[in-house]
Amino acid sequence: MIYKFIIMKKERLKFLFIIGLNTILLYTFYGCAMFRGPEYSEIIYNYRQPLISVTYEYGEIALKMPLEYPGAKPENLLFNIYSRGDTSRTMISILQDASKEFRAYLPQGVLDTDNETNLIKIYPQDPDFTPQYIPFKGIQFGELNLPTVEIVMIPLTIEGTISLNRNDSILEGVSVAIQNFDQTIIETESDTAGYFKLIIPGEYKREEYIQLVAGMNMIFKPFKQKLDFSNSYNININIGMGPSANLAEPLYLTNKSNVHFRDNPDIGSSTLFLLENGETFSVQRVTPGEYFGSIEVDIGKKGSIKLDGWVYRSDLDLLQLSNLFKKQSNDVSIY
Amino acid sequence: MFLFIKKILALCICVSGLLAQIKLSVNTIPKRVEIFLDGNAIGKTPIKNGNISIGEHQFVIDEDGYAPLKYDLIVNSSESVHLDFFLNPIYKVKFKTEENSLIFELNNEHQWGEKLIRLELEAGEHFLRVFKLGEIIDEQVIMVDEPKSFEYFLKKPIIEK
Repeated sequence: MIYKFIIMKKERLKFLFIIGLNTILLYTFYGCAMFRGPEYSEIIYNYRQPLISVTYEYGEIALKMPLEYPGAKPENLLFNIYSRGDTSRTMISILQDASKEFRAYLPQGVLDTDNETNLIKIYPQDPDFTPQYIPFKGIQFGELNLPTVEIVMIPLTIEGTISLNRNDSILEGVSVAIQNFDQTIIETESDTAGYFKLIIPGEYKREEYIQLVAGMNMIFKPFKQKLDFSNSYNININIGMGPSANLAEPLYLTNKSNVHFRDNPDIGSSTLFLLENGETFSVQRVTPGEYFGSIEVDIGKKGSIKLDGWVYRSDLDLLQLSNLFKKQSNDVSIY
Repeated sequence: MFLFIKKILALCICVSGLLAQIKLSVNTIPKRVEIFLDGNAIGKTPIKNGNISIGEHQFVIDEDGYAPLKYDLIVNSSESVHLDFFLNPIYKVKFKTEENSLIFELNNEHQWGEKLIRLELEAGEHFLRVFKLGEIIDEQVIMVDEPKSFEYFLKKPIIEK
């Protein structure tokens, strides 16, 4: 009986063990899913736009350009800045006094950083000064130092041709100079076409004693003319050297300065002019000590007139038209 | 050979120097998230002294527990650019119903028929549609803003727990 009870209990325990084992296995394999439910295989998105904030910080361009004034200085300067070759729209316009430096601050990214298409136009507030155009390559931001710019006045130009008055032939190699009082500013020589061109700084516009001197290397009296730039920056002068065809031969040249040109050959006669060295004298009558003849006197725009008078023979040399230029040893200080 | 490599290296440095002109900083919520810029990992947030060139770029963030993020940005010419990303979290949600023979569908895409199911949902609104015998019997919008349980009763507003 006891044995039977033990066998029954064993069977029951065995059954309970199998049930328990199955429960544990099920729990192990399926876990909490049995109680919490299965899990969906994918994450479910609603594709909501995430919050994103983008913040830019912009720098600035500090433009610096030193300015120099070799001569006169205008009162004010106007600076116009253009970018990317667009000169129809001024990016910024600044009027300032003529200081040593120009500074401008521009927003980032407005300049062309690849090519020199950005431009600064400088307009001095004085009509005698030259406007300047400075192309430059930009930067994104930071300090941009541009090369020094010289603010100069509009240069003065004198040009023309030189010919011989007697036959209008072109004269090559004639010295031409611009002088301020007696000081030579610039000098050149006429070319094969008789052409010459001289350019001097605009500051000389305000000088009162600027003159053109031509033919200092010729046997004739040099050509001299005061230059007046008050109405123009360019003057065109065609210069005629030597005597005109109106003076009849034989022709003589004064061989020194301050030669007395008198109205009469007699002692005590009055001196009409003191002739310069190289003045042409057309001889008409000869006496043992003097020549009677005529000289040409320039009367400005109306040309020249002839005046008759007397000159000592010793003050004249016969004109040799075969060589119109002085020998190099000649003393130029006589001018 | 060594000189050639040196020259190439110098050239690369110069080119990269020219391209990387803009300072970059990136913050995210949550922090310490790996950022991929144009396919390359550039570090974990917060990123303070990064560089980026002008032009088109793509930022990618793929962090566990958050919806993946792709962001295309055209970087303008500037001194620096700063980005803040607020990632959308993924919440665990339990969905339960006592009704029989119902099929549920979320966002026109995901379907199930179980009475009890666990879901992983991106934060925000989701569109729920309920079918019975192939016909739509209900449509609702559910809002997920934290881990929670939903209980559905036929033709009644969903109950949040």
